[in-house]
Amino acid sequence: MNEVSLTGVLRKEDFGSAGARRERAAGRIPAVIYGKEEPVHITLDAIEFRNILRRVSESTLLTLKIGRKQKLVLMKALQENVLLDQITHVDFFEVTTDEVLRANVSIVLEGHPEGVKFGGVLEQVAYEVEVECLPLDLPQHILVDVSGLGLNEAITVGDIKLPEGVKIHTSAEATIAAVKSIREEVEEEEVEEDLAEAEEGEAAHAHHGGEGTSAHEE
Amino acid sequence: MLSPKRVKYRKRQRGKTDGVATRGNFLAFGEYGLVAEEPKWITNRQIEAARVAMTRHIKRGGKVWIRIFPHMPYTKKPAETRQGKGKGNPEGWVAVVKTGTVMFEMGGVQEDLAREALRLAASKLPIKTKFIMRREVE
Repeated sequence: MNEVSLTGVLRKEDFGSAGARRERAAGRIPAVIYGKEEPVHITLDAIEFRNILRRVSESTLLTLKIGRKQKLVLMKALQENVLLDQITHVDFFEVTTDEVLRANVSIVLEGHPEGVKFGGVLEQVAYEVEVECLPLDLPQHILVDVSGLGLNEAITVGDIKLPEGVKIHTSAEATIAAVKSIREEVEEEEVEEDLAEAEEGEAAHAHHGGEGTSAHEE
Repeated sequence: MLSPKRVKYRKRQRGKTDGVATRGNFLAFGEYGLVAEEPKWITNRQIEAARVAMTRHIKRGGKVWIRIFPHMPYTKKPAETRQGKGKGNPEGWVAVVKTGTVMFEMGGVQEDLAREALRLAASKLPIKTKFIMRREVE
């Protein structure tokens, strides 16, 4: 497991939406830590957080340094403004190494399915599964090999091979990925185009006719 | 082309498109999406043109989701008509798109292919758009 550390500053005053707005304007992200004691409000450096965001998932253990204290946390939620490309708030969940926890682990598909060669399309239905384990056993991703998937076949949660000490909590019958056959788009388009042309032709004919009539009347 | 099967009233008031989308503003199905950066009415023809552009580009691979639907009829008065004499005739169908709406989603393709396909789709729309990707932390 790769360790990621992050520095936070304790937020003692200027709470509320206006305070949060001022923090964001100053290049900091408001965040909260909960799970063990009373919730703690902190702020993070926006640039530092963006840099680590590429390497972390919901199941990455983070060491959060706040002053002299260190907390082991998981990133529970992330709020962002897509339009401004700005992260607005982060939720951290505090954990201890000896306590079993539940977390969502992302699924990464690997391999090229057999069924794709025969005209199928690989569709990922679930992007994460809920697992229960000790924090240090928590996998960063779960790799699912889809290379054996034929046409109209699916892989379910029950087919996942998990590392030792990790228990899954999502239903075993839930589909993760499936290879589905698709309709031929080209043929449909050709028919549509033909229809469109036919309609245009008719419309043009009617239009010319109409104009002619009105001109004659004038 | 997309249009409702049946509507309760043929003509509708225009309404407003102020504010940002509070629904349909996240990726629900695919890995990539196209977000509206400004509000506008998107006609069913524009939706169809965008769909055709992106499905042609990704050819047989991948899957496309259209997250908007043209529920709203729009009307138009005939040319060279004086004002008055009531509301015009229904001309077509539009989807009311607010800033932040995820209009199209795509999955099962590589990022660069999705980016290009959605760029082509965006060129068929009358608004500024943005490409987004699914993050591992929701």
